[in-house]
Amino acid sequence: MPLGKLFFAFIQVGLVAFGGGGNAQLYQAIVRRRGWMGEREFLETTALCRILPGPVFANAAAHIGMRLGGVMGGILALLGVLTPGAILMLLLSFAYLHFGALPGSLAESALNGVAAAAIGLILATMLRQAPSALDSFKAVGLALGVFVTYGLLHWPLLLVLLVTVPLGMGLYWREAEAMPADASLEAGRG
Amino acid sequence: MAEVLEVFLAFLRFGVLSFGGGMANLPEMARVIIGNGWVTPQAFADGFALGQFVPGPNMLAVLFYGLSAAGFAGALAAALGMFLPGAVGAMWLVVGWRWMARTRWSRALRRALVPISMGLSASMVLVLIQLSVETLFWGLGIWLACWLIYREVGVGLVIAGGAVLGLLMGLL
Repeated sequence: MPLGKLFFAFIQVGLVAFGGGGNAQLYQAIVRRRGWMGEREFLETTALCRILPGPVFANAAAHIGMRLGGVMGGILALLGVLTPGAILMLLLSFAYLHFGALPGSLAESALNGVAAAAIGLILATMLRQAPSALDSFKAVGLALGVFVTYGLLHWPLLLVLLVTVPLGMGLYWREAEAMPADASLEAGRG
Repeated sequence: MAEVLEVFLAFLRFGVLSFGGGMANLPEMARVIIGNGWVTPQAFADGFALGQFVPGPNMLAVLFYGLSAAGFAGALAAALGMFLPGAVGAMWLVVGWRWMARTRWSRALRRALVPISMGLSASMVLVLIQLSVETLFWGLGIWLACWLIYREVGVGLVIAGGAVLGLLMGLL
């Protein structure tokens, strides 16, 4: 993978990743538009990056970048998704700290529309991923369990993970034996 | 210079502790940053709002706090501290995972994390809707955007359409 092409792809994601839709943008750009990664591989990658500290979106970019282009690829991917927002953030911060300026009400109402579109994007992405991510009753049950405890009951994230991760590992214990080592990891590569 | 190092170390701690994306870490962050006199409480809130405004992770707000604390070098130090721990871990996982894939527990973990991650995404969407959607109009807008993107209309086009529609609503 040429590093220039990789950086360009990630900087494009960084330019449009508004309103918490970063991961969904990454999915659209890497899996659907360019086919650089398989569906299942992407799902497992982002799921892994969730258990690390820091924004999942930035972590996933670094991880995918490194898979596609080595250490340099990882660094460029991270810089790509952060740079556009960082430059804008520095300009806005400078304007605020030195002149007390905040974005006007027009910019804010435009952002309302962008936020709604971003949520729509996340929903559409989840719909696309659901058939392969929720492929069994136990998968649906596990996802529902997380949604109810974390999303509806507002348990602390750490507690939710401490309960659901061991439970999930137990549910998949039998299949984990049958799964050939490294097969799914190598399938989407090259 | 000592100030920049202090900023870096403070944000490195947030970066290491910010499981689940950093939002959960916000109260602790407010306590430390305001306590150190790096920003006023009002500026802390405004800085966070600006973070929602730019593309990329909303934790880019740390650039604001770093800039306020120790200038441009402080901003870079804050961003490095915040984003480096997760990114280094994620990159290490590329190597580590291949090694761990030989063990049964890690294969079970990898399978289990996918539906768990879907549940976390659904929870996040719920929070985003609660935080940012105040009218039925935008509630319908979400479903329209979802439908368009699902029908393969370009993502950039739908986001831009949202911005234009929001602008029109602001003008009316």
